[in-house]
This record gives sequence, structure tokens and C-alpha cells, in this order.
Amino acid sequence: MAGLNDDAQWIVLMGFLVSFSLFFLAMVLNQSVVVGQTTAESVSEFPKYDIREIRGVIIESYSMPDGANVQKDINVLSLARQNSVVNFSTYSVGEYTYIQIHYNNGVTAYNETWRSP
Amino acid sequence: MVDTRGQLYTIEGVAAALIMLASAYLVVNATSIYTPGDTHISDMQLEVLGNDALVMMNTATNATSESPLQAIVETNNGNAFGQMYNNIVNNRTGQDQDHVQFMANVSYVRPDNTVNSTTLLNMSRPLSGGEHAVHVSEWVIVKAGDPENPFPRNRTELVEVYLWRD
Repeated sequence: MAGLNDDAQWIVLMGFLVSFSLFFLAMVLNQSVVVGQTTAESVSEFPKYDIREIRGVIIESYSMPDGANVQKDINVLSLARQNSVVNFSTYSVGEYTYIQIHYNNGVTAYNETWRSP
Repeated sequence: MVDTRGQLYTIEGVAAALIMLASAYLVVNATSIYTPGDTHISDMQLEVLGNDALVMMNTATNATSESPLQAIVETNNGNAFGQMYNNIVNNRTGQDQDHVQFMANVSYVRPDNTVNSTTLLNMSRPLSGGEHAVHVSEWVIVKAGDPENPFPRNRTELVEVYLWRD
């Protein structure tokens, strides 16, 4: 580098360092806007209440005198209004009654075997 | 005679090009503005609030009585539903109210296995189409008949509520 005056190279280099670090800090700050989006979307998409409610109504229907009508309604209504396929059946072993509950809305599947107390 | 002076200029040119490309990339990327509403966090909160309100309304005070929501569905009392739901979702500790709007309908199965949905409560504010409503629902076991089924036969109906904030 004969003839070139390179006294300022350190200053320029430090300037670059500072500006790049600012740049990366800005990137981090930029990403903070989307914090929680994935969490919120998965919470909204997961049919927690749907499963909880349908489970409750199925179990309740088996202790009702006219439960068969209710159970037929559950199948038709969940398919028509909640886009979920619900299937359930019951069997007895000894003194216990078991209810097998299957729920599937295309994204979430839930299966349970409930035993009467 | 080899002169190395051009190398420095070349490096400078490459660095300048990189900086310009990076700036152009940032500028193009910055055109999509991402607002907090796009993260759906408020939607999630609204959905939880609406579901909790419905669960509260469908809870009986004791084992033998009916829940308020059951009584409302059996008598098709949209006004009572609107009043109670409004109290639950919009009341705050202070004097001022929250601004959650909602509409509700109730679905049931006809004897021929088709589903009928009727409006339980009209929207509290006319829909413009721009609302980002969330959908919540609650199963209700109804013990009395309804106009299409006059016989007292147990049935289940689905109460659906759309909520939005304006």
C-alpha cells in the first residue's frame, strides 16, 4: 500500500463494527413483535373446550333416562356445527361401565376410555 | 511492475455493493407492516373469555336445578341471554364497560336428522364484515320440547356465540 495513507482504517473498522452491532440489535427488536403468535395460534386452534364439553355431555347422556336421543343429536350436531367426527360406545365389565370416546376434527384427535366411578 | 493499488478499490467496491444490497433488502422487507393484532393474541384471549362465560352460564347452582343457559334455551329467551352474557364478558371492576360485541345462535337436530340453526340473540351491533369474530360454543341438554318437537323428549342443543371487539 505504498503511497496510501492508512491511518484512518481503524476508525472506519470500528465504525463498521458499531453499525453492524446496531443492525443486529434492530433485527432482534424486530422479531420481538411476533413473540406469542405461535402460542396464541396453537391455543386458539386446539379444541380444548370442544373436547371438554363433548366429553361432559356424552358422559351425562349415559346417566339420563332418554339418553339415546341425546347421543344421536351429539353425533349429528358435532359434525354439522363443529366439523368434528365424534364416535362413542359403551360396554360393561363387572360393576363398571366404560365409555369409549373418540373425537377428531381433522387437526386434533382425542381418544378416551372413561370408567364409571 | 505489478501495482497492488487496485486491490483496495476492488474490496471497497465489493463492500459498498454488499451494503447497498442489504439496505435494499431491508427496505423491501419493511413494506409488510406487522401489527400486534396479526399475532392473534387478542383473539386467543377473547376466545377464552367467551368460552368461560358460556361455561359459567351452563353451571347449575345445585345438582337438581337447571343451569341458566338451559333455562334460556328451553324458553328461547334471547333477551335474558344477551343481558347475562353481556354482564359476564363486559363488566369491569370500575364504572366503565368493556366493548365486546356478540351474537348467538342455537342449533338442534330435527326429527329427520337435519340440523336447524336459529338466532338466539341478534348481534348487539350491526356487522360490517370487517370484524374478526371468534367462535365459541357450548352443549346444552334440554329436557323440554321445542316448537318442532312438542313431545317432552330429551335433546341436546348447541349454543354458538360469535364475539368481537370494536
